[in-house]
Amino acid sequence: MIHAITLGSVLGLISALLAPVDVSAQTKDDTIVYAIQSDMQNWDPPNSVLRESIIMGYNVFDHLAARDLKTGKVGPSLAVSWKNIDDSTWEVKLRKGVKFHDGTPFGAKDVKATFDRVLNPENKLTARGNHAKIKSVEVVDDLTARFKTDGPYPLFVERLTAQVMQSEKVIKEKGHEWMQENPVGTGPYKLVKWSKKQEHLLIRNEDYWGPKPAYKYVRVRIIPEQATQIAELMSGGVDIIKAVPPDQMDVINKSGQARTTTSPILRTAMIQLDQAGRSGANPFQDRRVRLAANLAVDVDSIIKHVLNGLGDRVATTVNPMAFGFDTSVKPYKQDLAQAKKLLAEAGFPNGIDVGFLRTQPTVEPGLIQTSDAIMADLAKAGIRTKARMVGEVGPFTNLIRDNKADPMFEFSWGYYSIFDADAIFYDVMTCNQPYSYYCNKALDDLVIQGRSTLDSKRRMEIYAKAQKLVYEDAAYLFKWGLRGVWGVSNRLEYDAPRDEVDRMWAVTPRKK
Amino acid sequence: MRRYIARQLVQLVVVVFGISLLAFAILHVLGDPVLLLLPQNAGKEEFERYRHLLGLDRPIYVQYWKFVSRAVLGDFGKSWYADTPAFSLVLERMPPTIYLTLSGLVVALVIALPLGTVAALRRHSWVDSLCTAVAVAGQAAPIFWLGIMLIIVFSVRLRLLPASGYGTWQNFLMPAFCLGAALAPITMRLVRSGVIEVMNMEFIKTARAKGLAEGRVVVKHAFRNACIPVITVLGLQFGQLLGGAIITETIFAWPGVATLTVESIRNQDFPVVQCAVVLLALLIVMVNLFVDVVVGLIDPRIRAS
Amino acid sequence: MSTPSRVELTEMGAAHIAASAARQATWRRLLRLRWGVGAAVVLLLIIASATVAPLIAPYDPLAVDIRHRLSPPAWMDRGTAEHLLGTDQVGRDLLARMIYGGRVSLVVGVAAVIISATIGVLLGLSAGYFGGNTDWTIMTLINVMLTFPFVLLALAVIAVLGPNLVNMIIVLGVAGWPIYARVVRAETLAIREREFVLAGRALGMGHVRLVFRQIVPNLVSTIVVIATLQVAQVIILESFLSFLGLGVQPPTPAWGNMLGEGRVYMLNSWWIATFPGLAIFVTTLVINLMGNALRDWLDPHLKL
Repeated sequence: MIHAITLGSVLGLISALLAPVDVSAQTKDDTIVYAIQSDMQNWDPPNSVLRESIIMGYNVFDHLAARDLKTGKVGPSLAVSWKNIDDSTWEVKLRKGVKFHDGTPFGAKDVKATFDRVLNPENKLTARGNHAKIKSVEVVDDLTARFKTDGPYPLFVERLTAQVMQSEKVIKEKGHEWMQENPVGTGPYKLVKWSKKQEHLLIRNEDYWGPKPAYKYVRVRIIPEQATQIAELMSGGVDIIKAVPPDQMDVINKSGQARTTTSPILRTAMIQLDQAGRSGANPFQDRRVRLAANLAVDVDSIIKHVLNGLGDRVATTVNPMAFGFDTSVKPYKQDLAQAKKLLAEAGFPNGIDVGFLRTQPTVEPGLIQTSDAIMADLAKAGIRTKARMVGEVGPFTNLIRDNKADPMFEFSWGYYSIFDADAIFYDVMTCNQPYSYYCNKALDDLVIQGRSTLDSKRRMEIYAKAQKLVYEDAAYLFKWGLRGVWGVSNRLEYDAPRDEVDRMWAVTPRKK
Repeated sequence: MRRYIARQLVQLVVVVFGISLLAFAILHVLGDPVLLLLPQNAGKEEFERYRHLLGLDRPIYVQYWKFVSRAVLGDFGKSWYADTPAFSLVLERMPPTIYLTLSGLVVALVIALPLGTVAALRRHSWVDSLCTAVAVAGQAAPIFWLGIMLIIVFSVRLRLLPASGYGTWQNFLMPAFCLGAALAPITMRLVRSGVIEVMNMEFIKTARAKGLAEGRVVVKHAFRNACIPVITVLGLQFGQLLGGAIITETIFAWPGVATLTVESIRNQDFPVVQCAVVLLALLIVMVNLFVDVVVGLIDPRIRAS
Repeated sequence: MSTPSRVELTEMGAAHIAASAARQATWRRLLRLRWGVGAAVVLLLIIASATVAPLIAPYDPLAVDIRHRLSPPAWMDRGTAEHLLGTDQVGRDLLARMIYGGRVSLVVGVAAVIISATIGVLLGLSAGYFGGNTDWTIMTLINVMLTFPFVLLALAVIAVLGPNLVNMIIVLGVAGWPIYARVVRAETLAIREREFVLAGRALGMGHVRLVFRQIVPNLVSTIVVIATLQVAQVIILESFLSFLGLGVQPPTPAWGNMLGEGRVYMLNSWWIATFPGLAIFVTTLVINLMGNALRDWLDPHLKL
């Protein structure tokens, strides 16, 4: 009889374990389910470079200024107006009656505390680079803050869209550790629960100062498998997914359950070639080899055939949507003979063997397929690549930052949603920046000039020069400006956002 | 019986010691953690400073002792990636994996016990051949293939079950079946051979000779004794099951410790890897100990000694 | 099976049943052997095609043709005779990749099994032959190995050493030895006390000679059977690792990573993942069948 008892007790144990794990009042009708591929490290947006952190930051925090997705213009948010008092001083008026989720009112002291925290080099926050031009913030009165900048700072207002406002009280009383898991913002949603690597549950902030979101709950689910994400979308388990592979658009559109929506996005994709030798001595330190790589690949036909046309060929790293984009620089065309010749001239008549660090397509649609095609084209010219795959985004970027990438690595840059050439030239391509394996003093000079000039015509000229320089030096293997593909459930109304920031408060029920 | 359990306990201690050695070796023998932690272009002094900081300049047995004495208290260090204690990260994700493996085990038993018994009793009949064929084929079918097919059929086409996630009983069905199906074939073969062996034993013959009905013979005597090898092997299979759990958890976005470990391995987050490996191994050891005790209770030969 | 109670059976009847059972068993064994031979033929074909892959593969397995991506197998609509099994996500010929992919699976399977069999047999022999403390130590080692979450161990080691073919073989090889050690130890324990071994010892044969001349020959069949069955296990494990991105790195074709890369396409281009999946299935199936047949033939008492 003993076996019966043990079996019975095992079954009993299991049924006890299966008892309700998750109880909540939310129903399908007042909930949006949004899927992301990997979880973020923390709920402290200035302390992360991950796209997921920026997106979630937008939903729970507010910024001083915000972009209108329809017009593309930057307008007021927590700040209602701003003006230049002199060349290096900005005065910002703040919105009245805004409250943080914990009930404390928002004011100039919070603006100061936020920027003081970010700008203090000892805090080592990743957002510091974005605001390095700001020297100090002063409180004029409760609703007025004054920014001192290091010389003229044309991007001041643009950059305000990239900094969430955190509370002085929280920064002082709770401190850094606590802030990593407990966001206290002023935004349209509040965090209810974070089950790491599983899901975030957000609830509508009923005291929000702006328009009220249509849905009361947002469940953000972490689903690492792309195949599973698509299956979930098609079976109604998830409402919004991003980075749908172009090949799968058809499947989703034919399902009757969901559809795809696309938009050009402010993100340029490239393959970095280690000109600076950060990964160690390598062939790409020779300009001719970098040029050969650019000439080896038939990028146009990859866009056409692999991405189904969902990509905008660019000559450099500057995105067509960014201020300063110069149409007069024409992209490289495939020329295998010339590529081989250049390699031979550089001392590699038999070609080269190089490592290639790759990752999963969390932000870049079709990344695996396009890189496979690029590797095949490179091999035709004699550039034989040995791929190394690091799937998780966090460790992948860490490898790059820590000089542990290969001489070639996949890279794309979302400009921190700043529609300006400076956002890639300065943040990525200048020497000493953590994520670029390119370093050229001549470029640095141009970039510094560009960010210290308020006259936009003059800035256009400077960036045209910079693009020509980067192009002729074949700084990277240039690819394309991305078009994002989102999968959206048919029960919702939602358009692909051009800055890749999914705003859950912009989602509405679909009109029948 | 007491001596039997004591012997098992001694072996347990030795096994735990071995596991701690292996987990320690993962980090300290295979790779230099400083190389993983510091950028390649870090200076020599930086390396030495870091080695000293981590205590890596001390003799290996001292390092091992430190590792073990901390681990006993649940201190495996902080995750290099998420900046939280590795122990709490792993512990948090343990229950989903335990539920998954247990339900997988139940599915395997539900499939294997009746089929294996029938196959044994109707030896060499078509039922037996069919079961053997299914078992051989089942052992050859990759589990991830099955998982994806299940999602396509039951979630995408039929819309009956959620494709992924965790929390409701519907979420359990496909992952449990996926894992259970992978374990069922081997279990079925064991049940079959166990029952066959038992049916040829003296006491069964005696029971029959006493004129007991065949049904009672099977249930009361044969089945119980056939359980012994099955339970023993299931204990051993538990480790295998965890391997299957990695795939199952990945496909069904199951927030368990197996995916955490794979992620941490990819992130090179070794404190978490060490912690997960040690805790999982402990879990397996406990299961095996439990199994040994149960077998001891069932098996009259051990009970008597 | 409404068996009458044994008391009623006459001696004659029992003898008759026993004889017919024996006849049946022989016949069945022959039948299973035939299955085994069939399986062996299929396996030989797979091995042969992998060996001469460059000669029979219709294309270079790495040749990308992005104009003809995702084209279906020849017998379907839009399928062409140029690509019998269709093409994958970047237009590589699936048949060519399948043929080449078999090389990885088979090489890993066989090489890893050779490593684990060597370690396992040596340890099993020492444990069984010497007994005592040696036996105790080795048995404990076996228990540790069996307890350790072996797949996790393999993953961790590969993550530290870096994913490539050689590391994968070493890891799978080193992790797989306990099963050999256990069986060999048990058999050795039994053989050790048999007369011819005792005689050898009485004649003053050395340990090494005794073990390798007298004991090992009696174990060969057992080892062959286990090894055969283990090859199938290792092939599945290899596909596990490749599926998780920790096996053979793309673009090198291996059944496991082809299946892994193709899984996103299951909804529209099922063939990319299905054919490598089938290849793994068929290969492990025939190896298992062959192993079972071998067991019946060489070593009917072995329980596996």
